[in-house]
Amino acid sequence: MVNEELINELKGHIINALHLEDITPDDIENDAPLFGDGLGLDSIDALELIVMLEKKYGIRIANPAEGKSIFKSVNSIAEYVDSHK
Amino acid sequence: MAEANTNTSWAGDTFGTTWMHETLIKMLRWIDVRIIYAFVAVFVVPVTLIVSPGARVIYHYFRRVWKFSVLKSVGATYRNHYIFSQVIIDRFAIWSGKKYNISVEGEEVFQRLDSQPEGFVQLSAHVGNYEVAGYHLSSKLKRFNALVFSGEKATVMENRNRMFADRNMRMISSCVDMSHIFELDNALTSGEIVSMPADRMLGSTKSVTKEFLGLPAKFPLGPFNIATMRGYNVIAVNVVKVKWNAYAIRVVDLPYDKEASRREQVAQLSEAYVRELERVVRKYPYQWFNFHEFWEEPKA
Repeated sequence: MVNEELINELKGHIINALHLEDITPDDIENDAPLFGDGLGLDSIDALELIVMLEKKYGIRIANPAEGKSIFKSVNSIAEYVDSHK
Repeated sequence: MAEANTNTSWAGDTFGTTWMHETLIKMLRWIDVRIIYAFVAVFVVPVTLIVSPGARVIYHYFRRVWKFSVLKSVGATYRNHYIFSQVIIDRFAIWSGKKYNISVEGEEVFQRLDSQPEGFVQLSAHVGNYEVAGYHLSSKLKRFNALVFSGEKATVMENRNRMFADRNMRMISSCVDMSHIFELDNALTSGEIVSMPADRMLGSTKSVTKEFLGLPAKFPLGPFNIATMRGYNVIAVNVVKVKWNAYAIRVVDLPYDKEASRREQVAQLSEAYVRELERVVRKYPYQWFNFHEFWEEPKA
């Protein structure tokens, strides 16, 4: 179980990285899908998230297949960040 | 800068079957390319104008963008398709071993970036014959990665791969799952060159609206996003046909403020790209080969 502080921090970074002006951290559910039906993100956005993880946490994801499971939801990103810090 | 989800992707590949392509390559080893031009002008282009949806698109382009009369637009559409046919024939002629005269403006821009350790982005457009650039702007040090349409015919891909075999070049096909975007990013972070068109949707449907030739048009956001994501240098490369046996390549820097916000960087880079493309298309209006409705429809 990852801490709420990290989840909220990640939501802020996601909103900033993807310029989601109309969305607040409270609008993003921890387990809701980020791609497709969820926030409607696509691979360009995934690349933005990869760069965000590099810049903010020093974590590099080079494998696109790995990215799919990591970027499933805010919770899955938080779990990945928490285990690679 | 406006971002939007659009559905203006276009699936275009080279006309003809594998047998037709191979026969054309064999014929071009013996026949003057102008004989094929003449045949195409009389027998192929008129038919294409009737059956091809692209002809209607180009007719609209001359009517709306260039404000040509109906009659002039029909003539201009014929001329556009005739030059496009020549460009396709030239592509096969090069594969058959024929030589063309090539002039390059701004080669030093390419060489300067090529000599630096960082990767860089080369943006192209559906104008003239971009493939010619691949035969003349080759890097001695860096691998060249070209994003290509995944639905292209096998003969076309095989001949491209054969021609580029000794040039440290890799073709990356656009994929439905958009994994090509990650491949492009990996190439850039490894200090390689990435080439992609920035005037057609490939994968992502996000776009940036720009004033282009006096009317608002949607350009794909992806190429500008990828280039600015890690602050890569960017050049525009356009190749136009200037004579039956000659092409001119133009290379220019596309500057943007790397200290500005990402949104501003994308705005500046896309603006620089569109202005350069506009300069080329204004000079060679008949070599605009982007066969889909590119400009936004006027609001009712």
